[in-house]
Amino acid sequence: MTRRLLLAALFAALPAFAQSDTQWVLQQSTLSYHMSHPMHEVDGVSHAAKGKGVCHAGQCSFLIAAPVKSFDSGDSNRDLHMLQATRGAQFPMVLVRTSFPEAASASPTIYVDLEIQFAGQTAHYPHVPFQRTTQGNDVHISGTIPATCSDFKIDRPSFLTVPIKNEIPVRVDMTWQKN
Amino acid sequence: MKAKGAGTVLGAVVCLLSLFLPLASPAQTSAAGLSGTVKNASGGAVAGAQVSARETPSGKTTRTLSGPDGRYNLPDLEPGAYEVSVTADGFAAAAAKATVTGKPQPALDFVMNSPAPPVSQPGQAGQSTSANLPNAPTSAPPSPSLGDLGFSSQQTQANPQLQALLDKRTHMLKVHQRLGLITAIPMAATLITGGGAKALGRPGQPIREPTTANLDFHVALGGVTTALYAATAYYAIFAPRAPDTKKRGAIRVHEALTFIHGPGMILTPVLGIMAYKQETAGEKVHGIAAAHGPVADVTALAYGASIIAVSWPIHLKFWKGQ
Repeated sequence: MTRRLLLAALFAALPAFAQSDTQWVLQQSTLSYHMSHPMHEVDGVSHAAKGKGVCHAGQCSFLIAAPVKSFDSGDSNRDLHMLQATRGAQFPMVLVRTSFPEAASASPTIYVDLEIQFAGQTAHYPHVPFQRTTQGNDVHISGTIPATCSDFKIDRPSFLTVPIKNEIPVRVDMTWQKN
Repeated sequence: MKAKGAGTVLGAVVCLLSLFLPLASPAQTSAAGLSGTVKNASGGAVAGAQVSARETPSGKTTRTLSGPDGRYNLPDLEPGAYEVSVTADGFAAAAAKATVTGKPQPALDFVMNSPAPPVSQPGQAGQSTSANLPNAPTSAPPSPSLGDLGFSSQQTQANPQLQALLDKRTHMLKVHQRLGLITAIPMAATLITGGGAKALGRPGQPIREPTTANLDFHVALGGVTTALYAATAYYAIFAPRAPDTKKRGAIRVHEALTFIHGPGMILTPVLGIMAYKQETAGEKVHGIAAAHGPVADVTALAYGASIIAVSWPIHLKFWKGQ
């Protein structure tokens, strides 16, 4: 009798054990910042981001990181100036953190609050829209982060004594897979 | 009279050069700093922890991230009193006070503890449900940390030496850029006044000498151009090179053109002096000195192309403003 009760209790507890965390891994990504100057339009692209997401009890937490020096604008001189201006040797990583309810991740447009650590500063971007599409096991996320130089206390680089625009929007294209 | 004018020009050039030379002395930096490790309660390294050192009188804050081995380094801090704080995902913040002197500091290590549980009810500060029930599940998912992502320590470790090198490089190249643009002005003026500094006349006919004023003015502009060019070149040649960087893009064209305007800027004044001597001897410029004008033209063209190359691609949108 006691053994039967124990077995029944064990089976009753199984669903609770089955509620394991869902993990997401960033498969591939393209992050590109856009810099604007009266004489120049420059895009710096990185494919070196890595990311991980954990969903637990209906809440998801994601971290995406990329080395600052991995952004390539096609001109090594300009990239070195970018690295200097963003204090990229002192703060070599860009970190993006976000948390949102798991239910929200099913809709075609996800609005997330982002916390970005960059250039030794932390900036928050509330309610940033990202488009979500699914293809097989892959979930594709794309959107634009409305970053500015002043958010990260970056002295705007200048060319011919004219500084670049304060706005440096960052375009994000990511493919995630459930682990 | 003309020889005296040339001496004055030479003196002006030397004075001008001496004005730029003091700018070349490197800034002195402090070697003092703080370093140590960030570990969790069980002794494991905490990667990606943000370590901030706030100088207490000034409030100036310097930050870095711990590497995958938990090590952090904050070099080049000014001597003084600091409040050092450490924050990391999943841990309660830690803080310590430190005094930085000019001498090597002992390691300032941090042990990160689990965060204080959240307060469950208003007015019950210091108490919470999870404090009473340590094993109670929390609704917040465990946040991934930088250490989970698999970056190498070389990628995540702060490199203040490289930052200092980049700062110096940018400073010197900014001066290079400004001087380069300023140099273009007397260079263009020298080219324009070149025609008026030339003796005219066909072989067998009387030579019409340039006026002393025209010749001296051209020589003076050429001297100023040469001095400014030398200063411009100095700031490019002695700007620190970033390690492990392969040159790509327009900068390669910019640098390739220096192989034309660099020798041109040496040859042009040498030929100019020869031409000047022939002029002052009452002769029409002849022989190799006659190449002074064409060499100057090629040099100026290469110099202009070099400025355009480093600016390429150019999208003129001045009307859009900032």
